[in-house]
Amino acid sequence: MAALWTKISAVLPPSEEQFPLQFSDKVESSVVEMLRRSRQQLYVHTTKNSQILNAQIILDFSWEKLNMGTWRDVDKEWRRVYSYGCLFKAAALCQEDPSAEEILLAVKTCDMGLLMGAAIMEDILQVIVRILQGEVRKSAKEEKEREYPQVKRSKFEPPRVPVIKEEQAVPRIRCPSLESFNTNYLLPLRPVILEGIIDHWPALNQRPWSIEYLRSVAGCRTVPVEVGSRYTDEEWSQTLLTVNEYIDRYIEHKDGGKAVGYLAQHQLFDQIPELKEDIRLPDYCCLGEGEEDNITVNAWFGPGGTVSPLHQDPQQNFLAQVVGSKYIRLYSPEDSDKLYPHQSQLLHNTSQVEVENPDMDRFPKFAATPYLDCVLKPGEVLFIPVKHWHYVRSLELSFSVSFWWS
Amino acid sequence: MRWFGFGFNAFGQIYDHDKLSKSEKIGTDEDVKVSSPLELTTGTDCCSKSVRIKASWSRRASLHLGGESCLCLAGFGAVTSTESSGALIKHSRGCTDVYISESYLTLAFPDRVEAWDLQKEEKTPSWSEEIRSQSETSGPPLSLPLVSGGYIAMKPPLYRSLSPHLKAKSLALSAAHAILLTASGAVFTWGLGSHGQLGHGGLTSEEEPRVVEALWGMSMTSVAAGGWHSVCISDGGDLYVWGWNESGQLGLPSRGLRKALQQQESAGASYQHTGKTTADEQQEGEKNEEVFISIQAFPALLDVTPSCEVKTVSCGSRHTAAVTTSGNLYTWGWGDYGQLGHKNLVSSDEPLCVEFFKEKQMCVVDVVCGAWNTFAAVVKKEVKIKS
Repeated sequence: MAALWTKISAVLPPSEEQFPLQFSDKVESSVVEMLRRSRQQLYVHTTKNSQILNAQIILDFSWEKLNMGTWRDVDKEWRRVYSYGCLFKAAALCQEDPSAEEILLAVKTCDMGLLMGAAIMEDILQVIVRILQGEVRKSAKEEKEREYPQVKRSKFEPPRVPVIKEEQAVPRIRCPSLESFNTNYLLPLRPVILEGIIDHWPALNQRPWSIEYLRSVAGCRTVPVEVGSRYTDEEWSQTLLTVNEYIDRYIEHKDGGKAVGYLAQHQLFDQIPELKEDIRLPDYCCLGEGEEDNITVNAWFGPGGTVSPLHQDPQQNFLAQVVGSKYIRLYSPEDSDKLYPHQSQLLHNTSQVEVENPDMDRFPKFAATPYLDCVLKPGEVLFIPVKHWHYVRSLELSFSVSFWWS
Repeated sequence: MRWFGFGFNAFGQIYDHDKLSKSEKIGTDEDVKVSSPLELTTGTDCCSKSVRIKASWSRRASLHLGGESCLCLAGFGAVTSTESSGALIKHSRGCTDVYISESYLTLAFPDRVEAWDLQKEEKTPSWSEEIRSQSETSGPPLSLPLVSGGYIAMKPPLYRSLSPHLKAKSLALSAAHAILLTASGAVFTWGLGSHGQLGHGGLTSEEEPRVVEALWGMSMTSVAAGGWHSVCISDGGDLYVWGWNESGQLGLPSRGLRKALQQQESAGASYQHTGKTTADEQQEGEKNEEVFISIQAFPALLDVTPSCEVKTVSCGSRHTAAVTTSGNLYTWGWGDYGQLGHKNLVSSDEPLCVEFFKEKQMCVVDVVCGAWNTFAAVVKKEVKIKS
């Protein structure tokens, strides 16, 4: 385990003098003093405890700044300070023969910095978490060889699969040329299911995604999870869990609970680069005007029954299905007035109607509004044109990847 | 009058732990987190009966009132740059009121108000203005951050004007919101509203002072502002709270707090408990179908104790402290740094009496909170002997 600290200090600057700590005037000098103390503690022998204490002070103070106002208002400098706090805390945890729990806590700390902070020192948190994951996997391997855990098989319930009528089914096309896609679907903004275009993804070939694979690649990593049937519900909330905890509780239901939890709309592939290697950017994205860097890639991983209420997004979307299947319904932006969007600023892109159980009295115009629908299966990619209203329900354990582009 | 302090002490603002002056520069857990009240040593040669204290995150300002009033600063920068803080202290002779934030120190003198930038070591204040003599204006003297015609904010522009129609009596500020008490006992709020801290029932922010209608008809006597919460006292001694309750700072059941306590327990931390295990509490909560409150967007009446009147209240970032007319100090909210003073580092979502003062027969008469610490003024309790 002493080898771990050697690996970590190898990626840190060789001396205190070469360790950068530059901040704008927005960061008060008292805070900079704390940061300097933490930096010094990395190079001068101090107790693990006092290092963690100091790092926690930096984290607690910057956490308060991160929660002041809306996310957009938060000054990037405070996110950087938060990341430094995570760095100092993770580094402290890895000293003096860390226990397995301490290593997991160090991983969690790095993840908090990656999720809430801003990149510092050439994304050093990413570098450190990779080293730590190596350690976690090493000891996990040893444990697996010792005991073989019983995997509880959940009762198989066949999903409530809607019948797709041919006259309102989303059209399908196999490997269209760039030009044909552009002419027939992108320019006229027509939804379509593209078949065969992700057959080459490692996620569907050499490294097929599964529960076991996700646990091995990302089990100890912390991710945001949405708890509650849908984001328009009062009981809906967000929480942070490790991937293992998420799978235990919301996929395998080890605690016996029935709550719905969805790992939704999360840039998992920025956080865990190994998973990024398993997917590819669809070629058709080059037909857009935006830069490749501006394409937002999100992961959507959850059990059967997760629902994304009918809503619209401001960008074009390729929704790639990797594991499991989803029922998806699409409405044209021309019919927005018949979809009763919420009035509030926060939810004005979301319809008030429960698509598969609409209140006919409150929303009389909805029932007659035309739509297209489909059951999206592994290997298929749905093109959702910009501003097209879409409703999604997973029919079974599902993993999708969405690409938002312009 | 003696002052005691507890909570965050990483900069020596409660007491200067020796290690600060040595190269190690960081104290132990006990040095940084003072969990039991500790008496403040004035450390000056002026022996003044009346000391007013204000605190920010990293500093404490003690204003010794008397013939020649003077200001002492403890905490960050107090030890190291003696020259400039010395100059500040000299300059403060005769000042009548003080207000401190993390970036600025504001001093009120009979004839002027000055705001000094604590980030820079300058010889002159960043802002100053002469004030008219008190005899011209009616009513009691204004306390900082209120000044004639407006108030001193925590970041530039420092001087903000307030409409004279408001008849401002006292003002409580946090980094992002403000609570104003008017001469007629009404409460106005403005600033960030994202956590319900404005008390208007929603989560929207307000640019201009807006009256808290839920308190209309009741006369309030004092107001206090925390990082994301607001508190006020009615003339009958009742406490009203609103805003964020993530750390139990409102004194209402907090899910965030229970979660945090559970995580601390599972990590095997050696914290003292309130006597119940979280399993018990969970069961209790389920039995009573406990309703957790994470945001209270309208003022709610808080029962501190059934038969006590609240005299003074002050808020830190995520905790609250209240003094009752019977001389007891109650604290609740975030306790990670010992700022609740219950000899542990446990947060609480219900008001708890700081037993230390009771045990020592001390009567608490005032309380002032810094961001993560608490300062209490005490006098000896009068022991009534039956003849």
